[in-house]
Amino acid sequence: MIKRGRGMACMWYPIGFTVAANASAATVKVNTDGTATLLTGTVETGQGALTVLGQIAAEALGVATDDVHVVSADTDATPMDTGAIASRTTYVTGNAVKLAAEKAREILFESAAPMLKVRADQLEARDRRIQVLGFPSKSVTIGEAAHYSENVLGNPSIGSASYNPPTVEMDPETGAGKPFNTYVYATQIADVEVDDETGEVEVKKIVAVHDCGTPINPMLVEGQIQGGISMGVGFALQEEILFKDGVQVNPNLTNYIMPTSLDMPELEVELVDNYDPTGPFGAKGAGEPTAVPTAAAITNAIYDAVGVRITSLPATAERVLTAIEEKRAIS
Amino acid sequence: MMATRTTDVQTDAEELVKARESQAPAKQPLVKPVDDPVIYPLELPESETRLTTPAVGQRATRPDGRLHGLGQTQYIDDITFPHMVHAKVLRSAHPHARILNVDTSAAEAMPGVLATLTGKEIPTNSFGPTLQDQPVLAGEIVRHRGDGVAAVAAVTEQIAADALEKIKVEYEPLEAIFDPLVALEEDSLKIHGGDTNVYASKVIKKGDVETALAASDHVIHQQYQTQMVEHVPLEPHASIASWDGNGRVSIWSSLGRITLGREDLARTLNLPQAKIRLIGTIVGGNFGGKNEITNEPILAMLSRKTGRPVKSVFTRGDEFVSSTIRHPFTMDYTSGFMNDGTIIARKIRLILDGGAYCSWTGTTIGKGSILAPGPYNIDNILVEAYAVYTNKTTTGAMRGFGAPQVCFAYESQMDDIARTVGMDPLEIRLKNAFNEGSSSPTNQSLHSVAVKESLTQASERFDWKGWQND
Repeated sequence: MIKRGRGMACMWYPIGFTVAANASAATVKVNTDGTATLLTGTVETGQGALTVLGQIAAEALGVATDDVHVVSADTDATPMDTGAIASRTTYVTGNAVKLAAEKAREILFESAAPMLKVRADQLEARDRRIQVLGFPSKSVTIGEAAHYSENVLGNPSIGSASYNPPTVEMDPETGAGKPFNTYVYATQIADVEVDDETGEVEVKKIVAVHDCGTPINPMLVEGQIQGGISMGVGFALQEEILFKDGVQVNPNLTNYIMPTSLDMPELEVELVDNYDPTGPFGAKGAGEPTAVPTAAAITNAIYDAVGVRITSLPATAERVLTAIEEKRAIS
Repeated sequence: MMATRTTDVQTDAEELVKARESQAPAKQPLVKPVDDPVIYPLELPESETRLTTPAVGQRATRPDGRLHGLGQTQYIDDITFPHMVHAKVLRSAHPHARILNVDTSAAEAMPGVLATLTGKEIPTNSFGPTLQDQPVLAGEIVRHRGDGVAAVAAVTEQIAADALEKIKVEYEPLEAIFDPLVALEEDSLKIHGGDTNVYASKVIKKGDVETALAASDHVIHQQYQTQMVEHVPLEPHASIASWDGNGRVSIWSSLGRITLGREDLARTLNLPQAKIRLIGTIVGGNFGGKNEITNEPILAMLSRKTGRPVKSVFTRGDEFVSSTIRHPFTMDYTSGFMNDGTIIARKIRLILDGGAYCSWTGTTIGKGSILAPGPYNIDNILVEAYAVYTNKTTTGAMRGFGAPQVCFAYESQMDDIARTVGMDPLEIRLKNAFNEGSSSPTNQSLHSVAVKESLTQASERFDWKGWQND
């Protein structure tokens, strides 16, 4: 008989480790037409990091995403970066990019100030213009300011900066201290069907609500969550490297079972409205945490459906059926 | 219905293993690709999200996404250079053995083979992000089946694979340990020598857990276990090395961290960093598996020996057996709580199957231990965690660094606590969850906390209160 159940799981996950140096550097150069180039040492590994970093640079310069070209990942050309690891890129590299873009913008302000007959600290950059605070009609385009700065004053608009979440030593006895700069939080709720005659589990729906601070690009955060859930479904129900005498017996995609699109449940993804003052424009991170609570939400839903506690992953049909049979034998 | 029957999988797989002892890929016919140019649209359609200010918060499309869709992204396998040759690595035939002799002469005699390489030829034959306990190619000892023993560079991938079968390796098999709990025993064989197989440990202590457990209305205990899983990126590990006439080497790699990658290459190759250019190409999925060097020093050495650019792309089999995978955890959780559902104590013991080498275990044990009590206000906590060597695949970084493992345990136990005191799973979590300013297990004051917001929002979206099991 098919039994239905629901289960929830929440989680916390750290962003920006501080127990060791965790630096990123960035360089932003504004071109004389108001477009810009960002140099970063991080690597695009499919998560959309370069798009997000470009958006952060664009925001700080007051231009649009399309105005910033991102150059990445060449030790001959790009500044150091601790890398695409630990959900750190938006937060750590993003902070470095923001600081670098602000330095480039400062040069534009200094050059535009005499053009607008005000002081540099009276200026703001938005909508591709540099304008006087409170008097938006008094403005020049960012291209005009960059051209004047570079080609007339000889002061090209380039900014370089680095960011490192302050490194903190932990108490060796108790582990007490501040091992990470910030944390993100999430809840996932699963709706499952369990066949109590075969032990097979089908996940019908997962609702996922995640905190990432300000979503720099909500579409890419949603993509991360969808991908993370697919890894979580595999971890919960299917994936396992099997060994016999130290030899992997299923090192191939025929026998290592993982979710395909046909195995994926309906997904409902939402973001929590949140802002972290330590992140670039309030952002934290979104990569790893998306895969964290899925397995527990599913096994809690299995319990709700058939009353058995799965304590060993993955919850394969055999494991679930064995647990159901043990429960029947007791009752 | 999902395919979740592991016994079928295991039977099939054992047959496959018998048929495929050499780990060489199946022979493929040599097919010359047809030069059939594709006409791409070369104008980027206007995208409002990319042209709008302010930029933050826009659902901006990815320029690299369009190139992926058009097939224009250059992954390593798409990159080729004149006179480029291909490398393959022979993997260990034993999970634990002493290497007595490696004879590459028959492989070198094969037409099309340009060079071979063994661990003795690597200038500094060790690497690792914290402990440098892993050889680039095995020296005297192999510690798991994924250890490389020798490498070949040949004019085609197929010849390189065939040449691996001609390499004669004499082993003296050693006792091997596969169970981390056995590896913990005092009289067990020590995989890396010394007096213990424990190579990383972590303690988190807050309050007085024993006193609080004794004062609890209820105490429950459960052991949880998680399995080994692979990252399974669409693009396997891949790289190309090209050593030039100035003694400078350029390496194109699927590595996710080039700054530290170049440090590792400088160390293993004994080269100044200025003599190394490392280019991170667009990566077809990382998930933590591409955070350290693999074949890059081997390719650099083979390029130096042959004077040619040398490429290697892992087969799916290489990806499983010789790249890193997720740590299996054995987790003992004891929680003490009151009749009203307040959790006052949590005592946790984590055993990490640490595989043959350390890799990113330091970060995994650190995050796993700190996160293990869950996002809850618990005044009395003790977490003790140990990572132990086994003769299995190297466990390293994988999306979450131990967090998915401990979350499975702490969230399973939350539901059991709720049931014990007769509360709803949502209510037990809301009662105990962190608030703004809560103190973490390491006594860190937390800011921008949103666990309760996520619980409330998800429950409303799911209609948790209105749900019927029908």
